[in-house]
Amino acid sequence: MLVLEEEKVRTRETTIKEWYQEVFPIAAQYVKQRGGNLEDAKDIFQQSIVLYYEKIVHEGFQAESDDKTYLMGIVKKRWLKHYEKSTRTTGLGGIDLEEETEQNPIVQKLLNYLSRAGGKCMDLLQSFYYEKMTMNQLANRFGYTSERSATVQKYKCLEKVRNEIKQKALSYEDFLD
Amino acid sequence: MRTSLTETKRIEEYLLELGDVQDRLLTEARILSNPDLAGKAEWQSKSYELIRLYGSNKLRKEISMIEQKLFTDRRYHSFQHKIRAIFKR
Repeated sequence: MLVLEEEKVRTRETTIKEWYQEVFPIAAQYVKQRGGNLEDAKDIFQQSIVLYYEKIVHEGFQAESDDKTYLMGIVKKRWLKHYEKSTRTTGLGGIDLEEETEQNPIVQKLLNYLSRAGGKCMDLLQSFYYEKMTMNQLANRFGYTSERSATVQKYKCLEKVRNEIKQKALSYEDFLD
Repeated sequence: MRTSLTETKRIEEYLLELGDVQDRLLTEARILSNPDLAGKAEWQSKSYELIRLYGSNKLRKEISMIEQKLFTDRRYHSFQHKIRAIFKR
């Protein structure tokens, strides 16, 4: 069982490489047999890794069987979703009924703005809220002398980002829904 | 911690259901009776959504770089050959 908790970045790279080498050929075969191409396979596989990573890190999930089998299960589900979506899109003259939040142009615009204007803060915040780092790991990664300083900085950044989002997004009505 | 940061922390505990329940109930009551605080809570909640998306985009970039290495670096020749063979058929 591969774990994505300790020495996060290094371990994560090793784990992802291993998934590519062992699971991607099976996923590629699966996608090819259903009419997909290499780009489809790559896209589906990347999405599946993100979903699996989030399940492990955010929900503390541990696959009962082999984690590679579980990842392949996600690939199959993603392919089905991709296939259903492309069928529906074709059937309605190119109108996409299920645009995902990640593809929402307003959200993308805000994310681009935040990367430019507050990249360091966003990196710090995502390390805590997305990667689920401890305060100690956060202090080490960003060079703070103590967990306390890292905590204060985290709230300063959160407040800054909250205000920037508010300022920028007030003109984007869709974002307020 | 300065007052506004303490307020941000309290909003966080309320939104993410962390810490003492009594404190959270108190924050909830304050949010319900204070439109300014309610606005802050709403924007903070949206901030968490955007931070999650930012994290997931960052991870996706990291995966792309690993993928790129696997598909171009000579060290992974046998992997590349295996994948090429699948899509040649």
